Amino acid sequence: MQNHEADGELDSLTKSLPNPDFDDWAKFPDEDDDDIMHLNSSLHAEVEAEADQSHKVPFEPLSSLATEYQSGSTILLEKIKVLSQQYVAIRRTRGDGNCFYRSFMFSYLEHILESQDQAEVDRIKANVEQCRKTLQSLGYAEFTFEDFFALFLEQLETVLQGNETSMSHDELLSRSRDQSISDYGEFVTSGEIRKRSEFFEPFVLGLTNGTVEQFCKSSVEPMGEESDHVHITALSDALGVPIRVVYLDRSSCDSGGVSVNHHDFVPVGGDNPNASGSSETVRPFITLLYRPGHYDILYPM
Amino acid sequence: MTSSSAPSRKALSKIACNRLQKEMVEWQVNPPAGFKHKVTDNLQRWVIEVSGAPGTLYANEIYQLQVDFPEHYPMEAPQVIFLPPAPLHPHIYSNGHICLDILYDSWSPAMTVSSVCISILSMLSSSTVKQRPADNDRYVKNCRNGRSPKETRWWFHDDKV
Repeated sequence: MQNHEADGELDSLTKSLPNPDFDDWAKFPDEDDDDIMHLNSSLHAEVEAEADQSHKVPFEPLSSLATEYQSGSTILLEKIKVLSQQYVAIRRTRGDGNCFYRSFMFSYLEHILESQDQAEVDRIKANVEQCRKTLQSLGYAEFTFEDFFALFLEQLETVLQGNETSMSHDELLSRSRDQSISDYGEFVTSGEIRKRSEFFEPFVLGLTNGTVEQFCKSSVEPMGEESDHVHITALSDALGVPIRVVYLDRSSCDSGGVSVNHHDFVPVGGDNPNASGSSETVRPFITLLYRPGHYDILYPM
Repeated sequence: MTSSSAPSRKALSKIACNRLQKEMVEWQVNPPAGFKHKVTDNLQRWVIEVSGAPGTLYANEIYQLQVDFPEHYPMEAPQVIFLPPAPLHPHIYSNGHICLDILYDSWSPAMTVSSVCISILSMLSSSTVKQRPADNDRYVKNCRNGRSPKETRWWFHDDKV
């Protein structure tokens, strides 16, 4: 029974990889020869192989990004050159589909750890409380999200120094391996989209042919669904935190020169000091690098 | 000896324990209609009795669901299968595996054991024919080494039932 044995071995090795036995059920990802997708899948493989360290968020100089694409497209290498004039480092996050929320949460907590900005902590706490009320009023069972919110509030306290429980940068890193650091982002995002469903409806219609509620159920709340403009807008608005997303893809602009696009998601509404209404331009303190299918964290000069 | 349908299990995380205790309390206060949780002291495996809804093909029939919780529940979906004999249904395999998106790709931490039960009962109730999935034999044969349905790459072809 050679087959059988091989089966068993495969199971123990690759728990979450597609099983070749199940071609009928297999959902093959759209194969293309885009280097970015290839790199992402090799990142996946690497990450799966190091299961124990899978939540590590290593910090690397931006030059490591260039090394990654050495044999790849020249447009990408040109763009990385442009990036390296503005950014010094990249922190890679695990490529499991929750990378947007994880990158965001880590970056936010790191910002508080470094800035010790008590006013910002007070502000976001009020927003989190607002999100809790939103979810309640939308009919979510409180016990499904309260632990995640409590954990985030606790983490906020611990990155502020001067408490007995204060944590160092290293501890934040090791804590970030714990999945739970990011897992309330989906709730906040879904709650915001549903609360303002009239506002989000046209955007949702552009992505799917379902309703806002269906979109939230199928593309926001499940773990591992990729985050799009809609998700980022909603999270940024709900928490009142501006986010810059830098796009690294192979698109080139007409003018001939190479430039790297970015988009600033600036929260709207409320009496939020970070809101777009204020006279000075908001410079987001969170910068994420988007490559098709994945988000990492960028560090400006 | 562990049961053949049990995934290799790690103990529940603290978050999972807290959450399941809350779900247990919520279930006791407000159990979903048509379900009975067979109380054991095992928080990590629930066995739930399902009664087919009156007026449907499964009226007066009783089945058992086995729900196993992973270490990182609710970030990861529970494993839900029917214990034998599994109901005859176009999306339920004879080994008890259930083809239902919310148990796999579409699981979210906002769902609960109770909401999963309601979805399964609704799937049963809307069935118009008592039969196995067309690919039952091949699928079940491929699972005979005790593979969890969570390791199957499901292809949810049809949302009619």
